[in-house]
Amino acid sequence: MQAQRSRTTQLLVILALAFLLVTALPFACWWGASRLRTGLAPAEATLRLAYSPEKGELLRALLEDFEAQGLKTSTGSTMKVVAEEMLPERMTAPAVAGELDAVCPDSSFWLTAIDQAWQEQSLDGGTLVGESVRFAISPVVIAIREEVARSMGHPERPLGWADILDKARNDPGFEWSHASTSTASGLLATLAQFYAGAGKTRGLTIEDATRQATLDYVAAVEATVKHYGEGELATVMMALEEGALGLDAFVVQEQLVVYYNARSSEKLVAVYPAEGTLWEDHPLALLESAGLTVEARETFQALKRYLLLPEAQQAVLSHGYRPADLSLSLTASGSPLTASNGVDPAQPQTVLQMPSPAVVQVVRDVWWYTKRHTNVFLVVDVSGSMAGDKLENARAGLLSFLGGMKGDDERVGLVQFSGSVGGMMPLNELGRNRQALAAAIANLNAGGNTALLDGIATAYAQLQGLGDRDRINAIVVMTDGRENASRVGLRELQRRIREGNRDGVPVFIFCIGYGRDADMDMLRAIAETSGGQVREGDLLSIEELYRLISTYF
Amino acid sequence: MNKTRLVFVLVVVAAVVIVGVSLLLQGDDTTLEPEKQELLEVRVACALPVEEWVRGAAESFNAEGRRLNGVPIAVQVTAVDGLTAKSRFDRGEFDPVPTVWIPDSRYLVELVNLTQKQKLGRDVFLTDGEYRARPIATSLFTWGIYSSRAQVLEEKFGTINWRTIYDAATARGGWPELGGEAGWGYFKLVVPNPQRNVGGLAAMVAAAGEYHGTTRIGVEEVAAPEFQTWLGELMGAVTDFSSLSAYSAEDLALFGYSMGDGGQLLESDLLSHMEGIQARWQEPLRIIYPEYITWFDFPFTIWMGQETTAAEKNAALEFERYLLSEEVQARAVQLGLRPVNTDVPLDGEGSPFVRWADQGILTVVPRSSAMRSPDRDTLDTLVRWFELNVTQR
Repeated sequence: MQAQRSRTTQLLVILALAFLLVTALPFACWWGASRLRTGLAPAEATLRLAYSPEKGELLRALLEDFEAQGLKTSTGSTMKVVAEEMLPERMTAPAVAGELDAVCPDSSFWLTAIDQAWQEQSLDGGTLVGESVRFAISPVVIAIREEVARSMGHPERPLGWADILDKARNDPGFEWSHASTSTASGLLATLAQFYAGAGKTRGLTIEDATRQATLDYVAAVEATVKHYGEGELATVMMALEEGALGLDAFVVQEQLVVYYNARSSEKLVAVYPAEGTLWEDHPLALLESAGLTVEARETFQALKRYLLLPEAQQAVLSHGYRPADLSLSLTASGSPLTASNGVDPAQPQTVLQMPSPAVVQVVRDVWWYTKRHTNVFLVVDVSGSMAGDKLENARAGLLSFLGGMKGDDERVGLVQFSGSVGGMMPLNELGRNRQALAAAIANLNAGGNTALLDGIATAYAQLQGLGDRDRINAIVVMTDGRENASRVGLRELQRRIREGNRDGVPVFIFCIGYGRDADMDMLRAIAETSGGQVREGDLLSIEELYRLISTYF
Repeated sequence: MNKTRLVFVLVVVAAVVIVGVSLLLQGDDTTLEPEKQELLEVRVACALPVEEWVRGAAESFNAEGRRLNGVPIAVQVTAVDGLTAKSRFDRGEFDPVPTVWIPDSRYLVELVNLTQKQKLGRDVFLTDGEYRARPIATSLFTWGIYSSRAQVLEEKFGTINWRTIYDAATARGGWPELGGEAGWGYFKLVVPNPQRNVGGLAAMVAAAGEYHGTTRIGVEEVAAPEFQTWLGELMGAVTDFSSLSAYSAEDLALFGYSMGDGGQLLESDLLSHMEGIQARWQEPLRIIYPEYITWFDFPFTIWMGQETTAAEKNAALEFERYLLSEEVQARAVQLGLRPVNTDVPLDGEGSPFVRWADQGILTVVPRSSAMRSPDRDTLDTLVRWFELNVTQR
């Protein structure tokens, strides 16, 4: 009886399950299929966007507000923007490879570069850059310390590139800098020099740019540059962190003058070069690659509309940019574009003519030969604590540094240290030792103590011994630990640096504290003594950090 | 109820719930119902200078819930430069094909018809009958120059035309040589990039007309070596074709006199930016009407190919009638366009034609010579010349 009841129960359960399957399955299939027909999308419609670093603060704030609105695409997906900071020059490769849906470089110039690269690859004559919008603009200016600008005649007479270049050539105490041609401001500074060298303000040709007299002029001016750098924002941020500018003048977009003056007691003035400037117009542009999804396109269009809304445009102005909305007055109460912030909304009066992409490319290529060259020692910690991933990633970083040094005329040497200094490769032009350096880096092995100060002292003595005033002299030192084996002490090293930099050639020391155990206080003391910089890196960031530091040379 | 029956009932209830939920989730999904047309879509490819007006009209038209034979009409507007649209028609790149094309000028319609006639043996846009192309507004090219600069040019040259602009553009000493301030640099001309804006080609055709003293410009005129040299020197005063957007008047407003002292641009574009220019740069533009005038008539053109149904064509006509209504034409005037509905005054309340009269805007265009539309070969010659001599300079 019990067994029969059990069989009946089993039969009923099986029948019920079968009924469930027969009734529910077709409906489930129908529902699923219909969702697919209507374009069942991922939960998020992601727009992959790369933007240039100088507008990071503004763009991140705007994107946060945009996403907070929880907008949906036509398929019901939530709109999302994955934004990555990237130097404009580096946007081209991922854009052409279809790894980005949109870009927002500092200037429209880079959009032309992207289209050119696309046309070379696709050969169909089409363009990759699609619809675009400009939501914030800012002219490139020469930011000069107020007292220095006044000593040069500002504001009574208009200053220009010629004044800066003359000052730099005639006043050894005048220190100025511009970024490399990887950014709009660096490109402008370089173009201005080529125009001045060619004696023109428009119509620069390849012949003009490659004429020996032009090259000599540019090289003479570049010889006065203190150092280059990773970009205009980094220069400003570094000055704010350190509480003082290490420079008398540098080339940035106007917005960064406002940004700096709002946060510092030391004032900068924006000089709008009399010969002309360029605009950073920050275009947000869609990339019409084959992989662009409907959702990404809709997200782009919604973002485009959002950026032009009154509240977004007001935020643009509050951050010191000139908004695209012309109804917003730059001179109204509350606008940060004021004389007290060092800027003048009625400027600039004129721009330099942007040459064709072919001429610009020649200028960028030739610049590597005219720029101020470098003697730089890479001082590398290979103590026992560096073993494993640390050393492997450091190797990648060192190679990335070499890759960033595009000119074969730059001189690079290598000093490795553990319990003592060893494995030194003397300075030599990269055209001669690039491969040997790469091989030495690949063969770095970890073991022993940390003679950090001896490593720096060795490289420093080499540079002072060379006494090369024409070049930038620098040491890039990296350590993951604490000094425990040097013969020279910190105070003694600082004394040598102070005296050497005063009586010999100035040597800037860039210190990288690699990981949490690095002695940052010691590194900071060394960097400050030399007028250099100190950076913190880890396993993930060390490669990019080395690449960034390479932009200073 | 024993345990076995309880399990059975629960499973059956679960099955019923799943089916019910599935049905509810479908909601108004009609995929199992026979196909029926619920919406008449009118896709409008619209020239840039009238985009704002047409888009605004489409929004109010859609909001009014207009119907044709009981079926609601939905108008969608996409901005496409006239020359770009022509290329896309020629290459069959429109997908879907727009129901309506509003190019800048009638001659672009004729050029597309010419190509399609070779392919299909018939016109795809009609020039007569119910569905013929009809202008919905007009505008013309005028000189728009920052007033401080215009004053210096007028003092130096008396009148402003392409020849005097050429003299200003080629002055080696820049503005100081012309009597202007040193800080102004060299004379900077704004010309729309003809690869992105048909207005750039119109400007070059107008320049050719003045150079040769004729309203009819053909290949012979634009290919003349001395003219090309002259035009090349003139274009040398343009600051940057790489970053100029398709909206040149917007560039003139956004970057001010730093990037362009002035140029020959569409009157409606200039008018719609006058307020912004005044606010941003504290200086208005001076408007000067040229001797050789190029008109844009923005024809509303319905695609007659098989991709468009009869109902869609009629829905398009509904929208066309709406655009020509007094109310919507009055809105066009507010944006600086000249209405084609003669009942709509140009000098009504709040009209920019009245507001900016002191800056040279005229409601009645002075007697002048209207440039005739160039043919395809002439346009191709100019575009090729531009690509080789200006963008790659």
